[in-house]
Amino acid sequence: MAERLLELDGVSLAFGGLRCVSDLDLHVDEGEIVSVIGPNGAGKTTLFNLITGIYEPDEGDIRLAGESIVGLQPHQITRRGIARTFQTLRLFLNLTVKENVMTAAYGHTKAGIFRSMLRTPGMRREEREISELANQKLAFFGERLMGYRWNQPAYSLSYANRRRLEIARATATNPRLLLLDEPAAGMNPVETHEITELIGKLRTEGGYTILVIEHDMHVVEGISDRVIALDHGTKIAEGTFVEVATNQGVIEAYLGLGTAETK
Amino acid sequence: MSDRPTPSLSKHYPGESLQFFIQLSLDGLTIGSVYALVALGYTLIYGVLKLLNFAHGDVFMVGSFIGYGVLQALGGASNPVVPVWLLLVLVTLAAMAGCAVLGVVIERFAYRPLRNAPRIAPLISALGVSFFLSNSMQLEFGAQQFNYASYNLSGGALYFHGFDLDHVHIPLLRIITIGSAFALMVVLWFLVNRTRTGKAMRATSFDREAAAMLGIDIDRVIVFTFILGSALAGAAGVMFALRVPTFAAVGFTTGLKGFTAAVIGGIGSIPGAMVGGILLGCAESYTAGYWTTAWSDLVVFSILIAFMIFRPQGLFGRVDIRKV
Amino acid sequence: MSEWLPPETESPEEAVPTTGPAVGRDEWVAREGERRVSRAGWAGTVEERLRRVPWWAWLTLFVAAGSLMPLFESSGYVRLVGFNTVIYMMLALGLNLVVGWGGLLDLGYLAFFGVGSYVYAIFDSAKFGYHVPSILIIPAATIVGALVGLLVGLPSRRLSGDYLAIVTLFFLELFETVATNGNQIFGHDITGGSFGISTVFPLSFAGHTLAVQHNGIFAVSYYYLAIVMFLIVYVALFFVNNSRTGRAWRSLREDPLAAEVMGMPVNWLKLMSFATGAGVAALAGTISTALNASVYPLNFSPVVLITIYAMVILGGSGSQPGVVIGAFLVSVLLQVLQDPGQARVLFYLVIAFGVIAAYRVSVRLAIVAASTAVFGIAAHAIAASFHHSWVDGAHGGLAGVLANWVVVPEQLTPWVGQVAYLFLLVGMLCATQLRGRLRLVALPPTLYLAAFVWENEMIPNPGPARYIVLGLLLIVLMIVRPNGLLGERRVEIN
Repeated sequence: MAERLLELDGVSLAFGGLRCVSDLDLHVDEGEIVSVIGPNGAGKTTLFNLITGIYEPDEGDIRLAGESIVGLQPHQITRRGIARTFQTLRLFLNLTVKENVMTAAYGHTKAGIFRSMLRTPGMRREEREISELANQKLAFFGERLMGYRWNQPAYSLSYANRRRLEIARATATNPRLLLLDEPAAGMNPVETHEITELIGKLRTEGGYTILVIEHDMHVVEGISDRVIALDHGTKIAEGTFVEVATNQGVIEAYLGLGTAETK
Repeated sequence: MSDRPTPSLSKHYPGESLQFFIQLSLDGLTIGSVYALVALGYTLIYGVLKLLNFAHGDVFMVGSFIGYGVLQALGGASNPVVPVWLLLVLVTLAAMAGCAVLGVVIERFAYRPLRNAPRIAPLISALGVSFFLSNSMQLEFGAQQFNYASYNLSGGALYFHGFDLDHVHIPLLRIITIGSAFALMVVLWFLVNRTRTGKAMRATSFDREAAAMLGIDIDRVIVFTFILGSALAGAAGVMFALRVPTFAAVGFTTGLKGFTAAVIGGIGSIPGAMVGGILLGCAESYTAGYWTTAWSDLVVFSILIAFMIFRPQGLFGRVDIRKV
Repeated sequence: MSEWLPPETESPEEAVPTTGPAVGRDEWVAREGERRVSRAGWAGTVEERLRRVPWWAWLTLFVAAGSLMPLFESSGYVRLVGFNTVIYMMLALGLNLVVGWGGLLDLGYLAFFGVGSYVYAIFDSAKFGYHVPSILIIPAATIVGALVGLLVGLPSRRLSGDYLAIVTLFFLELFETVATNGNQIFGHDITGGSFGISTVFPLSFAGHTLAVQHNGIFAVSYYYLAIVMFLIVYVALFFVNNSRTGRAWRSLREDPLAAEVMGMPVNWLKLMSFATGAGVAALAGTISTALNASVYPLNFSPVVLITIYAMVILGGSGSQPGVVIGAFLVSVLLQVLQDPGQARVLFYLVIAFGVIAAYRVSVRLAIVAASTAVFGIAAHAIAASFHHSWVDGAHGGLAGVLANWVVVPEQLTPWVGQVAYLFLLVGMLCATQLRGRLRLVALPPTLYLAAFVWENEMIPNPGPARYIVLGLLLIVLMIVRPNGLLGERRVEIN
């Protein structure tokens, strides 16, 4: 059995009186691609925020490769090997495309302020490595983010390219686990198809374990080893895509009570 | 640089601690009302525009100057051509009206073009307006002090009348000042919470774009806010100058303090601005009385810094929860 | 407008065969070469060449030009102004780090300049009798400044944007209060109070004292020392900006949450930003105090802070060459406005530039110029007809010549000046709002009033006049070109 990379154990979170996540158990094995689906407000992005340390769970534990990461600062969690993209795109718009990716290498580099001021050979070597790393990560997307694009400000990119850049930036942290929050949102069918291939490529060529939040069922079908359905902060179904898509509770959650019977 | 409240004309015995305390509290309440009015302007404008209007203190200063001008035009404190009560009313109204106009002009020319600019732009513009206003007044009127000489009004009657609280004389002028400040605050509260325009103001302060999409005329709401806030600053200017001589550079320090009061009370909250103003005025007064004037500023700033660190939303403010 | 032409010849190898959509293929990117345009003719070549000049070449040129200045100007006053300008440049560089790169609105920045100044003054002056050698006190003061910066930066962990601006501003006020009242701290006189410390010793290295003045003329050695320090600071900060820390600072400016999630320790980075900027300011403070042989609390008032902000904003926040140029321009501007003759020339130059820029060379330009002249002559004639003292106020030189056009009374009645000022403001505001013919009508009287006010009120009162100009500059800058001279256009979400 593959090693459990990520494990959530009875995690609960409430804001004021609103329970966002209720006693959630979840796991992702090394090398898997798991999709999380559910209607809006189900707690999917909250789940990501919990995993990356932006929120701290009221109850329960979150473990990465067996070690608890609850209570750690987000940047510490990232250094342990979790990276994410954002539902609403949070690029560094006024930095260049390449700089966006290079910034993410901060966590695994170490030249400090003084060494940077003096430009020691060690620092210069590290800079070259960071630059190489950025080139590699950007090259993953073919020609789209290559060439003269490297020195363009990120705000000059089209929407689809921005999404790709965000994924490239996340991979530059050298993570083990990649959390993609609605990577296909707002894309046309051609781009969606491309994203689906890309996520597969991320696993096979990049070796990342991937947890994806997605609404587009074509994408979910195309990539997932396993699907988890959430509603109102709890897990209502888990299994292969077919199992979950035909699950009565899931249909109810998406389409309402009446339709479940007609399906 | 000190705009410390001058001691009341009545005597106080430093040994008589209760009387001293009452006297200090009175001073605190009086200057606190001024700070509260200024704070209200800050809070209103920040609520609607999310802008720290650094020029607000200088609007306050212009108000005090306008009041002085009208006072002199009506004969001055010694020989007014109208009854004293009418004199005070006219002076205050003139200052309020003049400041309202000034506020509208500032908004129109210095802030409106920057509605969609990065957050820092209107802030810098506000600093520029502040520089411009205070130095313009200094250029035109000099750096000297202008005294309303209010103790000359009806031969000092405003000071001699009043009532005595445990051997401490509370002059009529103080009562008028504090009372009218309070009345203005009540009117403001009413305007913001019980009228349609007030509701539009509150909606705009929550979410400007959404309010616009619901048919609220954002420009008018903002202009209205500036009118209100600046008018209050004008009134505060008159009340201030009735007790202490005014000068061109007073805008910065008083503005800063009014601003401190708004932050302590919770920026965006009207009761907060009022409470913050009174608290600040009293803190200043007690420190100046029981310790020394020099360090009262230090105490005030330290309180503020502590507040910002431990309770940035102030006493009544809301914590901003933003969804990630 | 200049000519923009696409290059006619494009090598065939650029043409990529179109085969339909494929993963990772981007036709647009592949054909990028075909779309590049450049300016026609020699202007294009010059611009291309200039763009390729490396940053250090510009810096060397700049420093060389600055170093040659004392050869042409032996006046001690000019050297002092030059020294102060270099100090301003250093301060601007430090502030650029905190505000431009880190995106942290630090309104308390000047306090660090003050800390450096006071530490130097306390430990190297006749006040307490300490005489620590400069080689020790300068780094020590810098470190103390950096530590204070760290302290002031602590609130930044929980606060951001406006709130941070407020807290830092209050730190500045706190500093000023402590400095002004520091002569009574529990009975000890530490900072000399509002009189400051005025017996500061000059710099001394290896036993040699660097005299501040030779026969009343400021020593050139301080100027060169300042230039050297400026150079070191510029290069060091440039290197930091192009390192992982600089990128991290800029990321935190863009989106602190995203930066944190991408592995950058945002809180620590904010502290480092504050500390480094503060260190630079403190360093500038030490030599500034040494040259001036004194330090006063008023040197660190909010007015000076806003001046430095104006330098950074004018030059372009985030751009090192920009803020240096901004510092130079503002410093020179403030100096020029002190001197009536120079201020006059500057005024008319700016007006001329402004009008030409607005109307280009056109009929309308001629109309404006002519009608302003006529308006002035008429006004002058009318004023002169009342009484000769109404127009007799100017004496000699350019002022005298212009006084045939501008009305310069011997004694300006205050209310006339005030009314004129008010009308000028109204006129200026109207002129920005009106278009076309109405603007042509409003402009001449406004321009004339401006000349009148400048001549009769601003020139005699350079103190407030300087800051009026600065204030207006800030407002106009924010509206017209918020990214300053050399800053880049910035995009901001919400």
